[in-house]
Amino acid sequence: MTERAVSAPAGALEAKKKMEKSFRIKGIFIALMSGFLYGGYTAFMTQGMSTGVWGEWYGVASGLSAFAVVYTLSAVGAAVNDICSAVWSIIYAAIIGRLGDFGRSLKSKPGVILIIAAIIGGPLASTAYVVGLQMAGSIIIPIAALNAAIGAIIGRAVYKQKLSGGMILGIVICFGAAVLIGSTGFSGGTGFNVTTIIGIIAGFCAALGWGIEGAVGGYACCMVDYEVAIVIRQCTSGIANGVILVSILSLIGGDGIGSGIALVGQALTDAPSVWMFFIGGVFASFSFKFWYKGASMCGAALGMGCNGTYAFWGPVWCLVVCGLIFGVDGYAIPWQGWVGAVIMVIGIVILAISQDKASKEA
Amino acid sequence: MKPLNFAILKYFTSGVEACRADVQEALKAEYSGFRAFKDKAMDEALMTAASNGLIEESRLDLDENGNLVIYYKALEDGIAAINSYIKD
Repeated sequence: MTERAVSAPAGALEAKKKMEKSFRIKGIFIALMSGFLYGGYTAFMTQGMSTGVWGEWYGVASGLSAFAVVYTLSAVGAAVNDICSAVWSIIYAAIIGRLGDFGRSLKSKPGVILIIAAIIGGPLASTAYVVGLQMAGSIIIPIAALNAAIGAIIGRAVYKQKLSGGMILGIVICFGAAVLIGSTGFSGGTGFNVTTIIGIIAGFCAALGWGIEGAVGGYACCMVDYEVAIVIRQCTSGIANGVILVSILSLIGGDGIGSGIALVGQALTDAPSVWMFFIGGVFASFSFKFWYKGASMCGAALGMGCNGTYAFWGPVWCLVVCGLIFGVDGYAIPWQGWVGAVIMVIGIVILAISQDKASKEA
Repeated sequence: MKPLNFAILKYFTSGVEACRADVQEALKAEYSGFRAFKDKAMDEALMTAASNGLIEESRLDLDENGNLVIYYKALEDGIAAINSYIKD
């Protein structure tokens, strides 16, 4: 909000500044929470995908094709999580009295935009990310972290949101921090060949998809209640992943078109693991709706910059959930993670202060 | 019936200047039973719309209890944007 000259009696301006400040702090807090909760979603999905029937699927005697183990199972994991998340989102929306508006919003233009954004950011970007990781290795982790910068550019270009030099500096610092955190996963020696290039392009497509989803979904949430938007998002993503994407992947992998859906069905009825996906789904529901809500309150640049803390919270949650609670080795956080987190905080502070300054100058 | 948020934004497309209480008064017949119709949620919906440029603050006032009252108005661009996204 700008501070243009609006007529005001004594005391009103002060009260408005206070209200504006609390709106702003709430927006930043919500956007930061989206990154924090994303970590919980990552950790429970990771743990779920190594428990119960998943252990067999990833084991030597799984009977699945190599393609299915790499690609289809990733999509099945995302699908099971999104379906659980959709179920939770519907229940929650019913409890807080938003289900009616869900039906009413679905047929509207903002509703359709949210569906398209969910398909771009959900199945399409996530698949591009997995394909990128497989083809080019972990070099695509920092490339995918470009999503916040892309979201900021889209916010500027399409929705005429503020983007000052200081804000760009903040985004660059956050990006650098995400690269540092992700660098510990770098595996050298993949070489630079056609496969690597295609993988890098796929990683960029993932960044583009998430950038579009964050900016577009965030803007749509100034029209559609975010509690309604999340139901649209998770239902779309659940159906697209659980029915369409897994079928396409099983067809490509030569496993038969119905095999992917059968795997989703098996995973959904696998008692040892499905409860973890449900908890992951609850985290995903809150994380994604706060991502949209944060971007709608703070603008795409700051909202997505704060959300970018998921790069740090992911490993932290995995350390706590997978490492400490379930006793799995290999989740210790190297120094780059901690240093990256501090740098990211600096980046976000610069981004927030610059945005505040830019909006006051308008 | 439109979703509540759509109805709030559509209300401003007539070019009317209104505070949160005015919007609630205009929409109460259809929406007073909605949980998102409460003061705080309505304030937040209006502030979010304003921070995204759909509506703008036009005037500030204090009510008889000294509470802040913010008046909003949709300008030409905002009205065009609202109408392009939300059909009648």
